[in-house]
Amino acid sequence: MIRVIRRYEFSAAHVLARPDWSEARNRAVYGKCANPSGHGHNYRVELTLEGAPDAGDGLDAIVRERVLDPLDGYFLNREVGGFAGVVPTAENIARHIWDTLAGAVAPARLSGVRLVETSNNSVEYFGSEPTP
Amino acid sequence: MLITRRLEFSASYRDRKGATHGHNWELEVTLDGPVNPETGMVIDLKELKEVMEREVEARFDHRSLNDDTPYFRDRAPTPESFAELVFALLDAALPTRLLHRIRLSPTHDVTIEVQR
Repeated sequence: MIRVIRRYEFSAAHVLARPDWSEARNRAVYGKCANPSGHGHNYRVELTLEGAPDAGDGLDAIVRERVLDPLDGYFLNREVGGFAGVVPTAENIARHIWDTLAGAVAPARLSGVRLVETSNNSVEYFGSEPTP
Repeated sequence: MLITRRLEFSASYRDRKGATHGHNWELEVTLDGPVNPETGMVIDLKELKEVMEREVEARFDHRSLNDDTPYFRDRAPTPESFAELVFALLDAALPTRLLHRIRLSPTHDVTIEVQR
């Protein structure tokens, strides 16, 4: 088994809040991340690919078109369709990236999406849970 | 879904030969759990941070593992035995079986990994 790990970066703003909850409830659950003005991160994405790693020609273009261009520089809650009803937690962003790319990298196979939100926290998703 | 949080702390220890080591330890704590469909989170990172501060930082930061903690009275610590202790302390404090792995690095060149 050989795997390729490829890293990308994008910057985006978000607020952790459910539109169907009161501001007080959002503050109680998400703390300062619920500030309605939003805040931003320089996200790092690490994609792990298996199977046909030398078929990665064009991977950068696929990732740019499907992930980086739609997310980089935007306010996720307000400007990115995939987050209209989904709180853009690190967990949900990782699942969004997985769902966007998993069917697009053949003949390679996507086996992991790691999303680094700050130097102190990250998530890693392997495609095993359904997206809400 | 794995979720990882990082913490640094400073602690010293005396090995079995009597040599004293001091390090800036880097700890990475990884949980493996389902994403709560209501919140979109595996765990509130603030809660995880509080557990790490209470179970690790408050016990070990700026302390001697031998002299200032009760865990190494009858044996000299090693990075490996310290990592096993940190795993056990965090595992007992977190919801059942949520802890997946810790990585404990005494220096940039060495990492001890304990996985369930």
